[in-house]
Amino acid sequence: MTRSLLTEDQRDCLQEITNVAMGQAGDRLARLLDVFVILSIPHVSVLKPTDIVMALQALNRESEEPIFGVCQGFIGGGLAGEAMLIFNNTDFDDLARLLKYEPSEDIQARNELLMDTANVLNGACLKGLAEQLDTHFSFGPPMLLGQHCNITDLVQSNSMRWNEALVVEINYSIENHRINCDLLLVIAEQSLAGLIEKLNYMLD
Amino acid sequence: MTMKEDLSAFFKDVHWLMDILQNIDAGLVVMNRKYQIELWNNFMQNHSGRVPEDALGKTIFEIFPELPRSWFERKAESVFVLHNATFTTWEQRPYLFRFPHYRPITGTAPHMYQNSTIIPLVDTRGNVEHICLIVYDVTDTAVNKIAQQQAHKQLQELSRIDHLTGLYNRGFWESRLIQEFKRFDRYQLNSTLVMFDIDHFKKVNDTYGHTVGDDVIREVSRALRSQLRDLDIAGRYGGEEFGVILTGTTAEGAAVFAERLRNTIENLVVHSEGQEVKFTISLGINQLDESTPDHRAWIEKADQALYQSKEGGRNRYTIF
Repeated sequence: MTRSLLTEDQRDCLQEITNVAMGQAGDRLARLLDVFVILSIPHVSVLKPTDIVMALQALNRESEEPIFGVCQGFIGGGLAGEAMLIFNNTDFDDLARLLKYEPSEDIQARNELLMDTANVLNGACLKGLAEQLDTHFSFGPPMLLGQHCNITDLVQSNSMRWNEALVVEINYSIENHRINCDLLLVIAEQSLAGLIEKLNYMLD
Repeated sequence: MTMKEDLSAFFKDVHWLMDILQNIDAGLVVMNRKYQIELWNNFMQNHSGRVPEDALGKTIFEIFPELPRSWFERKAESVFVLHNATFTTWEQRPYLFRFPHYRPITGTAPHMYQNSTIIPLVDTRGNVEHICLIVYDVTDTAVNKIAQQQAHKQLQELSRIDHLTGLYNRGFWESRLIQEFKRFDRYQLNSTLVMFDIDHFKKVNDTYGHTVGDDVIREVSRALRSQLRDLDIAGRYGGEEFGVILTGTTAEGAAVFAERLRNTIENLVVHSEGQEVKFTISLGINQLDESTPDHRAWIEKADQALYQSKEGGRNRYTIF
């Protein structure tokens, strides 16, 4: 349900172009990593800050293990947002092997692995999306959530300066590896103008 | 506009751009597929002490042998293949290139902390044959962040430690006890609690005064600390009462520990305020088992054993 931010047509269009973008992302990742990447169909919804906090808390509860998330800002073409990658059910040694890192007990090495993975997955997906929208995004450096503070402390609903955000959710998993993560593209209401313009242009 | 004016405007633009690239306060290095350097700006020249004539055409690994090759290639490979920028932060790797810190007065670190970004340079045919490495000096940010983290850690330590004894204070020790209880609940690993206090401590205080009393407590803590193993968790539970969690230890093992500590304290002479004070301790031991419903009951059992030691004449241990 997308309530007021997008019309039905706009939402369908966005879902369609993110789907195409994900196809391209899967292809790029396959070339880099030499594996088959299973991507879910993107799910478009509208969330409030409290929904995001609740989703994170739910993730936190489900698993005894701490969850890891990496955020990365993107901006371009009158559109801006943050890509948040959440590692759900991921074996970090397996991930390290896939990215050809030395498996390591060292926390800094693991953090670097998570940030590099997020950068690669976010980059692949957002690059596809930017191409579909005929624009080009600039990326900020990836930031590991929970490195300096608890994930739910960080994402406090009252510190978010928006009421509604468009969220595109994509699930990644990789064949024959215990790697599973959710990518959320969060675009706050005030940063949507460029996207809506592009979607309308495509719909015409 | 004539062709000539066009060209001169173009050259002026290029000249400006080159000036900006050369003088921007960030390192810029353009490399080809073989990691040979094709652009080397002033920042790189000044901080590395290598002039462009020296650097151009050489690989980045020849110029900086300390740069881990496989690590850097892996980062750069994703830029070539995915046409996607990649990042390094000082938190993961303090620096790519070891540039000594150069400011004699306001410099705060032995070397420059660096963040870096590697961006793809797409040619006219849409291929990426070159990448650009951008190096940022983030020393001030890094130093501030590290100082903040250290202050935070110190505060955390302070809030855990009992000032007089240097052992954990009651609050933190109890939270560790709860953790240990939960660990037993899940993994059934042996864990034994020893509670002890100083016999007739009130008399020590009344006879010699509080300063001597404090010294007695301090000396007991010192004796205790010297007999702890890495994983043992000792805290000051009350005025003259102490608690020690011996992880991975049975009641029998704890009895050996208790007897050794009892013996040490019995032979200890505390010199304080010109006085020589001798005293003893009584101990109670309880190994955690399924019959203990929570951590409070665990303390209670060890306390009961301690009480029996007192009843039995003090200067001894009892296993619950």
